[in-house]
Order: sequence, then C-alpha cells, then structure tokens
Amino acid sequence: MKTQKIIKIPRLNDGSNDFRKLFEIFDSVKELNENIKFDFSLCVFLRPNAVAFLGGLARYIEYNEGIVSFDWNSCLDEKVIANIRQNGFAKAFGALQEPWTGESIPYREDKVVDANGIMDYLTDGWLKHEWVHMSKRLTDAIAGKMWEIYNNAFEHSETHIGVFSCGQHFKKEENVLFSVVDFGQGIPTKIRNYVANFDPVSAQKLPADACLRWAFTRGNTTSIKEGVPRGLGLDLLKEFVQLNEGKLEVYSNEGYVRIDKDGESYQNLQGISFKGTIFHITLRCDEKYYRFIDEPNS
Amino acid sequence: MKIVVKNVINSPRCITKEDGQKIFDLINSSLKNGERTTLDFNEITQFASPFFNFAIGQLLRDISVTSLRSLLIFENLDMTGKQVIERVIENAVQYHSNSQHRDIVNEILDKKSKEFE
Repeated sequence: MKTQKIIKIPRLNDGSNDFRKLFEIFDSVKELNENIKFDFSLCVFLRPNAVAFLGGLARYIEYNEGIVSFDWNSCLDEKVIANIRQNGFAKAFGALQEPWTGESIPYREDKVVDANGIMDYLTDGWLKHEWVHMSKRLTDAIAGKMWEIYNNAFEHSETHIGVFSCGQHFKKEENVLFSVVDFGQGIPTKIRNYVANFDPVSAQKLPADACLRWAFTRGNTTSIKEGVPRGLGLDLLKEFVQLNEGKLEVYSNEGYVRIDKDGESYQNLQGISFKGTIFHITLRCDEKYYRFIDEPNS
Repeated sequence: MKIVVKNVINSPRCITKEDGQKIFDLINSSLKNGERTTLDFNEITQFASPFFNFAIGQLLRDISVTSLRSLLIFENLDMTGKQVIERVIENAVQYHSNSQHRDIVNEILDKKSKEFE
C-alpha cells in the first residue's frame, strides 16, 4: 500500500520565484511512488497560472497511478477558496460546489484536441464577458491567436495528460492573465530531438534559450510533413502581443521567454528543468489599447 | 469554381489543419490546371495559421505564387483572415524556394550550440 505525502501549497503569484516554487513542487512529486495530498493551509494567494499548473500536476500524478486529494478544509484564506470554487478548479477535483460566473476565466482541462470546445471556451467563456470591452472582430482575432498556443501544445508537446488552462480578470489593472500548461516534452527538447536527426552529437548540447529563440522565429518548425510550410503560430502570437502592449512569458524545460512591447528576451534558468511548457499571457481588456497591423499607429 | 468554405468545413472557424486539408483537396487540381477558383469566406469569423498552412501554403509546392495570386480569389475575407493568409503565403514562398531549409536551421542551431560551450 502506498504511503501519503502531504504537499503544502505556498503563496503563489506569477513572478519568476513563484514559477520556481511550482517547478520545485513538480520535482518533489514526479518520481514518487506515493499518494499525494495537497494542503492549502499556507496558501494566501493563488494566481491562475498556479491553478492551471496544479491541475495538470494532479493529472500527471494520477497518470502515473498515484492518488491525489485536495484538502479544501485546510484552506484558511477566504479569497483563495472562493477563487478556486468560482473558477471550477475545486469542482474538477471533487468539491461539490458548482462554479459561478465572476472575474475568473474558468479552469479547463483538455485531454485531447477539441478545437470547437476550446474556441467556445475562449470566445463565449471569457472574451465576450462584460469586463472585456472589445468588438467581435477583436475577440475573434484574440481567440485565433490563443488557439495557436493550444495547437502548438497539442501538436508538439506529445503530452499524455492534456493541456490545462485558467485565467483571471483584474479590474483595477484592466487586464486579464491567462495560462496554458502542458506536461509534455518541452520546446527545447522537441527541437533537440529534431536536430538530432542531422547532428545527434551537438543536438543535446543546444542551450534552451537558443532553441526557444529559434521556435519563435517565423518559418521555423520541427514539423516534417513534406510540402506543408509551418512555423507561424508562435510568430503571429508574438507579433500580436507586441503590437498591443501585452506580455507573454513562456517557461519550457530550463528556458524562459519574455515578450512585450520592449522586445523579446530568452534566458536559461539555473537549477530548473521543467518537463513541459507554460504559456502565461497578459492582455489588456479594452479595445482602445488595441490596433491591428493594418491600422496606423496613432 | 467557387467554394463556400463554411459549407465544406461546417464551421465558422478556419483554424485546424484537418479543415485546411479539406479545402486543399478541393482546389489543388483545378489550380494546377489553371482554373480560376474562388474561396468564399462568408460567415467565417476566426482564423489561425494551421488551417491556411494546409489549405493555401502547400499549394505553392505545385504552382507559382504569381499563378496563385491570379487564379485564387478570396471573397468575404476580413482583415484578420487576410493578415494570416498573407503571412502564410509569404512563409510558403520562402519554404518552397529553399530546399536547404533544414540544413540552414541546423547550421544556425549548431552555431548557437558552439557559442554556448
């Protein structure tokens, strides 16, 4: 019979140290042959990136034949418990209360590609929400760019457990945070494996930052279907974020990407190797901030 | 030939490679034969690159970009869709004109690797 390990969830925001804490939690359970109970007694703040990550982590443990439980009663912070009930995370992991409409973008799991389900979630679930003051044209355009993230995750990550999403509207800042997480192989690993077809010796030495920079460059792709040009999804996403002064952060293996109006940066993170990829995007909620590439920069 | 895209893919969303392949299969032969073809995007509201890579990008394997632009007509396509198509065509021209694409990619990555060592 397996023993049970209790993991205490700390305060989790969306800074680099918070992502590092999430990866440490992942490292502490990934090789375990134990059942896991998540305890929220220390958690006084939980950003949606952490919600999506913890959901994926729970499914990862279950996929590896562990039993996961969440001790909802351990959660002492009213805002945290209200948030994870509202966004449906608690319901997804056994709590009885139904989620409700509020400032959160619902927690979602996609084990396999469900294009229409995902697009309905994006367009009807939150982009048409009353706190998003945008035209249909713009919400459709944003949904198309968000789809590029999902498509990338399903096509390249080779995830066995699916893709996990969650987000939140922040009224004061007039923006939304949205995270998409997979526990697949990671972008640098995918590129190293691709390069290994031609040069196996140097492929495994490729630094993550160089791999990520390559992945975000127009036309670059590891897809091998002859005759079909690819490699635009991440480039289109990058362009959209920069044009509209949003922010995109990507954590994949030991690499990190930050894209915003000031440019793009690629780094290798010391002491981290996350087996998967997180897209964490910040978008403004008001049409007045947006423009399309065909519109003048006024 | 005129094709109403929504009737073929049964969706207002041109986003998946599978739907893109359906369009490609319908128009590839006629375009190779020099037949003018119209894609009507009426009631299509959402666009993404996987659809157009398969529907349009791979056409340039067999016909020139000049022929594509003269033979393939897009109707009722909004600006977001036009942007994605233009990017796909631009990328496809680059892809099909460069048979050493992968070698170049490998060379770049190899160079980066050596810098890191």
